[in-house]
Amino acid sequence: MTHAVALLLYVGSLILWFRSLLSGGRGRGAVMAFALAAAGVAVHLLALARFTTEFGQLPLNGLGPSLSTVALIIGIGLVATLGLGEGRRVGIVLVPVVILLEAVAVSLGIEPAPEMLDWQGAWFAFHVTLAFAGLGGLAVAFASGLLYLVQLHELNTKRMGRLFQFTPPLATLDRLGRTALVAGLITFTLALILAWLWTINFGQSSDLWNPKVFWAVMCWFIFVAALGVRMGDGVKERRSALASVVGFSLIVISYLGLRLVSSEGGFFL
Amino acid sequence: MSPVSVVGVSHLTAPVEIRERFAFAPGEAEVALGALRTETEVQEAVLLSTCNRTELYVCPGGNEGVQEAAERVLAEKAGDVVGGTKQYLYRHDGEATVRHLYRVAGGLDSLVLGEAEIQGQVKDAYELAGRNPGTPALAGPILHRLFQSALAAGGRIRSTTPIGEGAASVASVAVDLARKIFGGLEGRQVMILGAGSTAELVVEALARDGIRGLVVSNRSHERAAELASRLSGRAVHFDEMPFELARTDILIASTSAPHPLVTRDGFRHARKDSQSGPLLILDLAIPRDVEPEVGNEANVFLYNVDHLHEILDDNLLKRRESVPEAEAIVDQYAREFLQWYGARDVVPVIRSLRARWNDVRERELERLWRKLSHLPANDRDVVEAFSKQLLNKLLHDPTKRLKQGIGNGRGVDFIDAVRYLHDLETEEADRSEGSGTGDDEEAEGIGVDVTPAKDQ
Repeated sequence: MTHAVALLLYVGSLILWFRSLLSGGRGRGAVMAFALAAAGVAVHLLALARFTTEFGQLPLNGLGPSLSTVALIIGIGLVATLGLGEGRRVGIVLVPVVILLEAVAVSLGIEPAPEMLDWQGAWFAFHVTLAFAGLGGLAVAFASGLLYLVQLHELNTKRMGRLFQFTPPLATLDRLGRTALVAGLITFTLALILAWLWTINFGQSSDLWNPKVFWAVMCWFIFVAALGVRMGDGVKERRSALASVVGFSLIVISYLGLRLVSSEGGFFL
Repeated sequence: MSPVSVVGVSHLTAPVEIRERFAFAPGEAEVALGALRTETEVQEAVLLSTCNRTELYVCPGGNEGVQEAAERVLAEKAGDVVGGTKQYLYRHDGEATVRHLYRVAGGLDSLVLGEAEIQGQVKDAYELAGRNPGTPALAGPILHRLFQSALAAGGRIRSTTPIGEGAASVASVAVDLARKIFGGLEGRQVMILGAGSTAELVVEALARDGIRGLVVSNRSHERAAELASRLSGRAVHFDEMPFELARTDILIASTSAPHPLVTRDGFRHARKDSQSGPLLILDLAIPRDVEPEVGNEANVFLYNVDHLHEILDDNLLKRRESVPEAEAIVDQYAREFLQWYGARDVVPVIRSLRARWNDVRERELERLWRKLSHLPANDRDVVEAFSKQLLNKLLHDPTKRLKQGIGNGRGVDFIDAVRYLHDLETEEADRSEGSGTGDDEEAEGIGVDVTPAKDQ
């Protein structure tokens, strides 16, 4: 029930974002949309806190709880843009991602995992939380990168319509994307280090062709690439925006692909 | 009775050389408002003086003496004008004044349709009339309500219609573009090539957003120095331009040179060692000062005169399309104000009507008690309550219809009819000998809002 309320608040926020877009960002539509999304995040957090107290485990294992947690972390990423003025408008991209993840989680059922693996201790919780935070950072970078490319297109086509008015400034989007990538890379790297330590400790497979290992390493390289393209001459901001968009899309597509082809049960997420 | 009149001059009736003679500085406006106080018939006044209009709103409306007093204040300010000042002045009265102020606040009467500055100017004018140290404010209950309502209407027009959407001048297009590229303009470096007046306006607009430094470069160094000193910038010789270009964030070119001054090769050379970020170039010159190929360079946003005019035309078209929507808001707010004002007239009538029939009720009860002297006190209370209830029911519909009449413009007829049919003139005369008006208190009892509008 609490998840449904959070989902409703997110949907309400999305409607307000689009209304704000149609009015070129005039009025208080964007502020209301952000406030509604923040309310959704608060309710979502409450829902997952209740899950933890009720079932005595963090919502990090099993597809439903994990997707809901990723959605929450992306939502928190949105709330973290509070002080960025127009930068908050990345919500128009992030909220649909949150809605999609939470809707899938709710439809699959946010229930505790039936079996507890022996490596599900505090270290596992740290590992998964850090990895999810990294993915949340990449989602924020994806949103700011996408809006950066939109704004760049509007500027290059010499249009100053409602899309131009609504979309945040290039500099703001670039700063947000860079910060999100750096924060995401740090947390994701820590998550990989922890994962490597467990693998050694619990004798798990560290074969690169293990889907979990392959996907995690690919994600890390995508982070590095998105930040790496900022070096060198030319429009590094545009390259980074493009890399964030392509990188996040690759991560989502490869995850879905691996889930479909992987025969291994218990594939994470 | 008309609530308010306005006398004024605007860009629609007078050229700038005449308008500037009517313009009041804030200190002068206070003196003028103080002078109006000596005019005994003027009860309330607000003076609105901007670069495009000077208007004096006065109460009561429909009063020739009050309007002439207002005209005198404006004429004295303008001094001797060839052909007299009257030819430039307009007068509106009653509803036309109300609608006019709402249109002014909403930017519908502005030189640049939908411009936002007027909203603040209306607010300032209203606040000036509201604070006269040592003396009662010149903006009384009617103008207080009118201006609060006008500000609310203006705000709603801007927030719900696209009338203020998009920039409406080259300077504001430049500011919008710069903001969308750089975020804030604090710390940005601007360079002007040439000394055109449009470039100057653009820089003034950018300066309001906090640019860090301004460099002016011109073939004539003297002109560059003159413009630089006026804009608190720095003049450089023309041959230093490439060096400055490397550090520039916004370049405004407006020379009359017959060939491009910024070529692609020159540009590449100038910025080859630069780690600089985006560069916004506004080429306002004809022929163009910047080769179009420069616009293809990385991180360069080049806008020439045609680009800017296309943007302006598009924005102004959108603004014009939103006028009917904005006028509908003006209609709604004007109707609400006039209803409120009309309710002020209806309050005493309703009060008299109720008093008149309450007196009758009390007299008839006295007669009844004399006939039924044996009636116990409890029964008397029941009869008295019944009489009050009956009176309330009998007067309910006439009261409601009177208030509705104010809303549909038939209020004055209804008020006259009620006064005549119920012989209220005598009643009102009797009561006026008794106590003060007590309109507000009475109005509360009969559900008519005569309180001033709340701050928006």
